[in-house]
Amino acid sequence: MKKHSLKWSTIYLAFVFIILYAPIIYLVIYSFSAGKTMESFHGFSFQHYMDLFADTRMITIVINTLLVALLASLLATIIGTLGALAIKDSHGKWRNSLMSLNNVLMVSPDVIIGASFLIFFTVLGVRLGFISVLLSHIAFSIPIVVLMVLPKLNELSPTLVDAAYDLGASRWQTLTRVILPAIGPGIMAGYFMAFTYSLDDFAVTFFVTGNGFSTLSVEIYSRARQGVNLEINALSTLMFIVSLLLVISYYFISQHAGRRHHLVTVKEGDAQ
Amino acid sequence: MGKNILEFRHVGKKYGDNVVLKDISFDIEAGKFYTLLGPSGSGKTTILRIIAGFDDATSGDVYFDGQRINDVPANKRQVNTVFQDYALFPHMNVAENVAFGLQIKGVDKKTIQERVHQALHMVRLDGYEEREITAMSGGQRQRVAIARAIVNRPKVLLLDEALSALDHKLRVDMQTELRQLQRQLGITFIFVTHDQEEALAMSDQIMIINDGKIQQTGTPVDIYDEPLNHFVADFIGESNIVPAVMKEDYLVNINGQDFECVDAGMKTNERVEVVLRPEDLDITTPDKGKLVATVDTQLFRGVDYQITAHDLRNHEWKINSIHKTTVGQQVGLTFDPEDIHVMRYNESEADFDARLDSYEEEE
Ligand SMILES: Nc1ncnc2c1ncn2[C@@H]1O[C@H](COP(=O)(O)OP(=O)(O)OP(=O)(O)O)[C@@H](O)[C@H]1O
Ligand SMILES: [Mg+2]
Repeated sequence: MKKHSLKWSTIYLAFVFIILYAPIIYLVIYSFSAGKTMESFHGFSFQHYMDLFADTRMITIVINTLLVALLASLLATIIGTLGALAIKDSHGKWRNSLMSLNNVLMVSPDVIIGASFLIFFTVLGVRLGFISVLLSHIAFSIPIVVLMVLPKLNELSPTLVDAAYDLGASRWQTLTRVILPAIGPGIMAGYFMAFTYSLDDFAVTFFVTGNGFSTLSVEIYSRARQGVNLEINALSTLMFIVSLLLVISYYFISQHAGRRHHLVTVKEGDAQ
Repeated sequence: MGKNILEFRHVGKKYGDNVVLKDISFDIEAGKFYTLLGPSGSGKTTILRIIAGFDDATSGDVYFDGQRINDVPANKRQVNTVFQDYALFPHMNVAENVAFGLQIKGVDKKTIQERVHQALHMVRLDGYEEREITAMSGGQRQRVAIARAIVNRPKVLLLDEALSALDHKLRVDMQTELRQLQRQLGITFIFVTHDQEEALAMSDQIMIINDGKIQQTGTPVDIYDEPLNHFVADFIGESNIVPAVMKEDYLVNINGQDFECVDAGMKTNERVEVVLRPEDLDITTPDKGKLVATVDTQLFRGVDYQITAHDLRNHEWKINSIHKTTVGQQVGLTFDPEDIHVMRYNESEADFDARLDSYEEEE
């Protein structure tokens, strides 16, 4: 009986994965096709990759997108971590309101956030472009970072901070030598999450990009509307490989950090 | 009398309306082993946190080495703490944990290495430098916590229920080791526990705390033999506590029967309480006994029998005896005059000491 159900679940899982990955594989295969459309495969070629690397507009946009993602996630990680520390230090009602405000941002639809940023920037007279995209990406990434860091902070034993003071550390030394390293895995996770959210955000970015500036998702959307171009396939394939590498490296980083992080949980268990 | 390293003067602590410490005053002499003993919630940890500087006293003064330190922050005090949950830094290995305090002080690398090595040797953890904290057992973690504290050579070491997480055997071993370490280092230890056996075994001086007040301070023997009040007598060791009347000096009436005793200095016919330790009661034949009682229960505990019996007035007695009796049998109970300890109601520690001095000098 058990064996039987196990087999069915394996088949089901395989089926789900095939459905999930089929479009990507389809897309990857046609990126190597010599033809202009995805109707039939016309033999192997790197033509679309050559086109892609010759397309300076596209290359600029890729660089812009990466730049926005790197900067936005970095700043959001710093602000979000400080925010989490502040929430952790606050008490009672104040703390609940801060948490609620954070969660509202997490669950509100991107379209609403995008539209409100557009209104906000127009009212303030901020020119739409790199800055407006960067600011809005930072803004929607902060709650993500807070959400990843706060549980790690709550796991820390309060006596850990007392112990640092007790051994002569100043507040700053306690923060940099004890608290931050101890919540390191949470900060890393927050950074990676913020990075991926920024990288593939479409809805918010669509509202706040001006004429001269675009990101990948917005650009692909506007090109796809004018008919499918296999250069997009080539680009998507490269992005897929990059994300795969990111996921793998994140896995290894968290494996390493997890070994040490594990201690916090064990220690708390002992204290009971 | 040695020098006082630490003094509390009328220290009070409130959390909102909740009064946690009431007018606490005591002196801590340098180089001794002190134990704060009291039931859960009595304020032991609060006292330690005020000494370490994690919490402020609401009222009163704290002196360290003659200086008032109420406003000195925790990281500037020459005091180190071994926390109940050890509070080891999870992202550092054993040596890094121990070195933390020295690194903060900017001690040079070579000295740090030497002193870390030395501290780990003292707690018998040689060779564990590179171990991760997770790879250490509870007892080993505790030693790391002790090493991390003593490596800074504090004048006072605070230990909050440091042994409570260990199993019985390891705990007894660690008690001896801690005591040895304290003698070796000559540092003042202030040890918190709610385990009275632990307190009696380890301390030079015990401070008994209940309900935010110090009940009694003294050597283990003083406190065991001459408890000040009902709470102390009941909390330390096993005891029979009986209401009685003080007829005159050296004569006390228990349940209508007069007994010779060694206490004096009270009013005639004053109502008092009498403590008789179970191990001071001896069982004989009914005709030789000062009291006659019937055995109700008997429990073998390895070293002795724990017996309960009731006397003719139906008062229950606890007796520890190495001789076996039979349940239901009538026995006699005897004790010597010095086994009786008389306690007055609501006597302060100062009055108690003064009274003891007054009649002990006469002799
Ligand atoms: N931060 C705080 N806020 C409010 N009340 C507190 C706080 N810390 C301690 N208390 C109260 O102070 C009293 C004494 O606490 P304390 O921790 O000193 O007890 P303890 O003697 O160490 O007990 P235990 O043996 O259980 O550790 C308790 O009633 C506790 O509820
Ligand atoms: Mg406590």
